[in-house]
Amino acid sequence: MKENEKKKNKGIGRRDFLRTVGAGIVAGAAPAVIIPGRALARAKSLKILQWAHFVPRYDKKWFDAFAKQWGKDNGVNVVVDHVHIGQVKSRTAAELAARGGHDLIEWFDPPAQLELSVLDMTDIVKEAEGRFGKQLDLCKRSSFNPKTGKYYGFCHGWVIDPGDYRKSLWAKVGKPRGPETWEDLITYGGRIKKELGVQLGIGMSQEIDSNMAARALLWSYDTSVQDKNENVILNNEKTVAAVEFMKRLYKAAMTPEVFAWSPASNNRALIAGKASYIINSVSAYRSGQKKKPEIAKDVYFVPPLKGPRGTRWTSEHVIYSYIIPNYASKNADTAKKFLLALLENYDQAMYQSELYNSPAFFDTPIPSGDRGYARVKGAKKLRDLHNAWFDKDPFALPGEATNKLKVLKDAEKWSTNVGHPGPASPAIGEVYGTSVIPNMMANAVRGFGKPKTAVAQAEILTKAIFKKWRKKGLVGGTM
Amino acid sequence: MMKAVERQPKAAVLGAPTFWGHLVDSERMLAPLMIAPAILYIVALVGFPFLLAIYYSLSDATIGNLSLNFVGLRNFIAVLEDPVFRQSLKNTIIFTLVSQVLVLVLAKILALALLKDFRGKWLARFLILLPWTAPIALGTIGWMWMLDSIFSPIDWMLRQVGLLGAPGAILGTASNLYWLGIPSLAMTSVILVHTWRMLPLATVILLAGLTAIPQEILDAVEVDGAGFWRRLFQIMIPMLIPIISIAALFGVIFTFTDMVIVYVLTQGGPVHSTQVLASWAFFKGIEAGDLAQGAAIALFLFPLMACMAIFMLRLARRTEVT
Repeated sequence: MKENEKKKNKGIGRRDFLRTVGAGIVAGAAPAVIIPGRALARAKSLKILQWAHFVPRYDKKWFDAFAKQWGKDNGVNVVVDHVHIGQVKSRTAAELAARGGHDLIEWFDPPAQLELSVLDMTDIVKEAEGRFGKQLDLCKRSSFNPKTGKYYGFCHGWVIDPGDYRKSLWAKVGKPRGPETWEDLITYGGRIKKELGVQLGIGMSQEIDSNMAARALLWSYDTSVQDKNENVILNNEKTVAAVEFMKRLYKAAMTPEVFAWSPASNNRALIAGKASYIINSVSAYRSGQKKKPEIAKDVYFVPPLKGPRGTRWTSEHVIYSYIIPNYASKNADTAKKFLLALLENYDQAMYQSELYNSPAFFDTPIPSGDRGYARVKGAKKLRDLHNAWFDKDPFALPGEATNKLKVLKDAEKWSTNVGHPGPASPAIGEVYGTSVIPNMMANAVRGFGKPKTAVAQAEILTKAIFKKWRKKGLVGGTM
Repeated sequence: MMKAVERQPKAAVLGAPTFWGHLVDSERMLAPLMIAPAILYIVALVGFPFLLAIYYSLSDATIGNLSLNFVGLRNFIAVLEDPVFRQSLKNTIIFTLVSQVLVLVLAKILALALLKDFRGKWLARFLILLPWTAPIALGTIGWMWMLDSIFSPIDWMLRQVGLLGAPGAILGTASNLYWLGIPSLAMTSVILVHTWRMLPLATVILLAGLTAIPQEILDAVEVDGAGFWRRLFQIMIPMLIPIISIAALFGVIFTFTDMVIVYVLTQGGPVHSTQVLASWAFFKGIEAGDLAQGAAIALFLFPLMACMAIFMLRLARRTEVT
């Protein structure tokens, strides 16, 4: 008896310890062994990975419920996982390496570097075009590789990237309708900074908005990273002139905050009343409507600014592109069926994103029945809805002008893809991902080198990147 | 009764010897069994990725194509020719050396202070340990706000005391210092935040070392009339060298391989002025999709760290007090 007590008092013995740990491991591992069996017995499933939308109601009020309902109607168990936009690429890389994970993955920029690990989407694009009309060209150029003839992604939508300006500030310097040319930013934006103490916010750092702004400037100066045949043409007099312009613009109207620009800086600067002009989608303005209505009411929009020869372009702000990894080929039909259903319901994507999303297929018919928004008289296609909503913004605040978005109605005429005038490609993606172009601007602006030197350095980096991807057979051109 | 029980064979007391019973009673079998999970863990989470990184670095792998073709040292050559890589290497060395010197000096001061008895010592210890226990991303986001170009409370304080934003102010007439927008300030910010992060661990390690110094040695030195500085530099620091080496080794390895602070605060900018090898490997390998070059960049860390680890462990062993 005493011996037993002694044993008890000693605490856990070696045998007890091993037994407990062993039991724990078995208990922990059991579900993993049992559940796959169960999963096999269940109905079809579709796992979707996508980035958490910048407009929260898109996911919370619409997309997740839509996906679930579609699953219910089609006997598919749909699982939607949202991740922060910054995690999409690393998650995709991990899943491709593991050859397992989600059946559909949504990217926010062209997934060109994934071409060899994803299914060809040509069939679904053709089917969608048959049912909903031609896909917007900038969407095609963001998901199709002309060199290999493969649709590596399925682009269902895109985001407009206009100029947002504070009307009251620009009115005070005699330009109430905002800037029209890049030079206006120096002339009037410079005066706003000098006289009213409010700077411009055009990023020159290693992030997406800076990448887009720098490209918009290059294109408006009739130059670009590549030509339409994917030859590198960056190093030319027009690029040098664009960089020289940026140098003058920084001196006249900006502060060093543009070198620390982050994707949140547009929203922060605009809402804080510390930016007279930014290049951003409507999301910064929508945030302002919720957080600082008095500032938001003063925010108006302009199309991209004209360069010295009157050219104007801006980059899409986001390209929505779904991929189906090779490992998910067994589930491809279900995934493609879901994508077509998404297109059929794109009026919801537009409305629930508060007009952040624009469709890749403008001729899609509007479904009948209650769609959760006020019916637009005579509207039959998404184009009609788009026009009506951009003429009269359904999300304008009480007492706020409702026609602010009108200037964005024909945005597809002046919006283009990241590789303009050529297609997106892994090389264009790497030049973008390593921020070669905004760094070229910043190098010259900060005085680390003359504009000519900065352009020459950027060309060396760009050519090395193109050469590498060309060797893999994924990029066209020879230079 | 007791005697009777003692005289019984062991098997009779514990039941018939089973396979498991035999296993757990055998030191020869049990020792490898117990250590196996740790070895498996290291092989799976350190060894395998390390070998995979070597494999990738000698191939043309991209995130979209894992059907690997051997390309020899082409990735290493390409990486060495890249000016961003060279700048990242330089930044990594500056970042590591400056932050580790700061960490060790400040940790020594803090450890000496915490050795003394004073009121509220537990609170001071708690506050000092806090940065280490808080999730690193959370702490860094806090610092991002502290160093924000518009809302920085540091700038606000400087403006309130007239050091910034006023005509003739010492720090300039601009309303903000733009901590993360000016290369030198951005590097300073990254180093200071990393120092803040690493300080608690080094302090705890040095505090443990200080408490281990025999009191009689310190008493003897005091009786001999040695002052504070002499005690510090001729007695305490030499005796602490093994433990300082361990703290430095931890710090250097952690700093060399860390990219969270750079990634959250500056993304390597402005113009790569805070880019470090770990962040550049991530941007090149994952963001830009060139897994092979990303792996080659990451592997440059290995020989540097291996040399440093060998040097410091040797130093620690040579100076060990027995």
